[in-house]
Amino acid sequence: MFLKKTAIALAAILAAAGAARAETVPVLVPITGFLSLEGTSQRNGAVMAIDKLGAAEGLETEVTDTGTTPEGAVTALRRALAGEPSAAISSMLGTQMLAMIPIADRAGVPLLTVSGTAKITELGSANVFRFFPGDSVVKVAQARYAVEKLGAKRPALLYQTTAYGQSGAAHLKKILSGLGAPLVFEEAVDISVKDMLPVLTRMQAADPDILLLHLHSGSTALVIRQARESGNMLPVVAGSAMHQPTTAALLEASQLKGVCAESASSPISEAAGPVADFTAEYRERFGIEPDAFALAQYDGAAMLVAAKAAGAKSAAEVRDWLAANSFDGLAMTYKSDGTGNMAHDAVVVCYDGKSRVPAIASRYENVDGSN
Amino acid sequence: MTSLALAQILLNGLALGAAYALIALGFVIVINAVGAVNFAQGELVMAGGFAAIAIAPLVGDAAGLPGLLLLPLVMLLMGGLGVGFAHLAYFPLRKRPRVAVFVSTIAIGLVLQHLANAVFGAAPRVGPPLIAGDGPVVGGLTLSLQQLGVLGSAALLVSATGLFLGRTQTGRRMRAVAQDPEMAAAIGIRPARMITLSFALAVALAGAAGLLLSNQFFVSPNDGGLFMLKAYIAVTIGGWGRLDGAVLGALLIGLFETLVAAFTSYLVAEALLYGVLLAMLAFRPSGLLPERARTRV
Repeated sequence: MFLKKTAIALAAILAAAGAARAETVPVLVPITGFLSLEGTSQRNGAVMAIDKLGAAEGLETEVTDTGTTPEGAVTALRRALAGEPSAAISSMLGTQMLAMIPIADRAGVPLLTVSGTAKITELGSANVFRFFPGDSVVKVAQARYAVEKLGAKRPALLYQTTAYGQSGAAHLKKILSGLGAPLVFEEAVDISVKDMLPVLTRMQAADPDILLLHLHSGSTALVIRQARESGNMLPVVAGSAMHQPTTAALLEASQLKGVCAESASSPISEAAGPVADFTAEYRERFGIEPDAFALAQYDGAAMLVAAKAAGAKSAAEVRDWLAANSFDGLAMTYKSDGTGNMAHDAVVVCYDGKSRVPAIASRYENVDGSN
Repeated sequence: MTSLALAQILLNGLALGAAYALIALGFVIVINAVGAVNFAQGELVMAGGFAAIAIAPLVGDAAGLPGLLLLPLVMLLMGGLGVGFAHLAYFPLRKRPRVAVFVSTIAIGLVLQHLANAVFGAAPRVGPPLIAGDGPVVGGLTLSLQQLGVLGSAALLVSATGLFLGRTQTGRRMRAVAQDPEMAAAIGIRPARMITLSFALAVALAGAAGLLLSNQFFVSPNDGGLFMLKAYIAVTIGGWGRLDGAVLGALLIGLFETLVAAFTSYLVAEALLYGVLLAMLAFRPSGLLPERARTRV
């Protein structure tokens, strides 16, 4: 009798412990390699959201560095899947996402990312949820701002040779043609290129009236700095890398005059409200300025917490909840367009040449008309 | 393209090549000293850039020459790191197959990369300028003080290294150990000391290159691979084991990349550079300035 009671009590204790056991959300992001800056933002945003909001749902994070190779991402995902997670925060690097998606599909585990590469939501996967506006949103904002607000007619484009760069360039070319301002010059630039003067010199020969950039952080700063130092004062509308405080920190405030950038949001530009509170908390916790990637991944992880709070337990339930519901995040309202694109708004921020904090110059809401 | 634009591009290429020359020089010094490749040379360049950023507050904007004043400090600091590097990456493995040494240098390079990431963060950082202020305009060409500083500093350091190795007793001892360590030991030279000195000099030169490049081209924890690759190509083109070959190879790479990119594209420049490298390996494997035959790992 005593043994029976003890066994029942033990079983009850174990069941309670199991119920209270934390679920680990894998955070598989590039913390080293050429995308480590953006990957660190992604990690910080996810970890901050899960720590702050997910603890009540029994969630905790385990961060794994994917590096920048597809193999690194695949290995990290396979290892994470052994823990049978109900979702994973996954790399913002498009080439890594393309490698991870088939594995996530086989396991039926949703991936929450901020990758901008258009193709990841064009593969028909039900497990991809992108919380950063894709190229079909932000490139529209970039092109429209250049043409409609700045009056550009002869744009030049420099883009990265990576999948991210090629995806954005393809969208920009198409959108600009549609707006009646086809490119007069374009070139792909490898991430390792340090001296930008050769391409800037050739670009000048094409007589552009605006320079569009779709480059990672370091390359963006190198182009703008070397352009300004060589006397090239063309207006610049850059990709989202230029809204990052760490990119602006590489340049003199005066070199930023005439420089704008597309982005999903600009946390440091908000003086008050929930985004400003997020910025203050982020600064205090990580000692750095937040960018749009951090805020978008924060919102993505917060939506995962909301799914859990709504009763989604398994990976399939989480996936179905994310696909069917909308979520009011800090940066915008997120809702799937049916292919996993959750973000549909964009902003263009501009620097005034006096400070490194940009102001929001234009907002583009529901750009793809699917929200 | 105007002649002024071409002159500006040439100046850029020369400055880049001059910085590559310091990296390649350090690379060859280690090859000569221990007969193995130091695959951490690129990460040591990156470490030099971050070292400059870390100690920059010591000099502030002193006399408008912050970078130039920092240069000896960075080299001293990196020289000390070189001594530690030798005792970590080389001496414990010197009796093992030489492949163990280059694997250990790869490992230390990765440790340096992750350390920089942890200490300084993933974002690119801008180093102190060698000379503050705007450059002079000569015949319509704006001369960048930074570029002039890079060229002058690199020329000085290359010449000083050449003089040190060729004209001083210590330099001659280092060369003697490089040529035949057993014979050098037999005549009273202490090979371990000379090898340590070689590592210190090589790492100090890498650190100097890191400082020279950090302002104009920024520095980030992931830059090492690029610099390593350039040094390797420079040495292959210039001639394995030859100091002057390394310098020549590096200058040629800087000019080649910049000029070809100015007339075609970066992709063509990159493809042609590797094409030239393959041609060199096929038809002139000993490089433009060949050394006498010797086993390399």
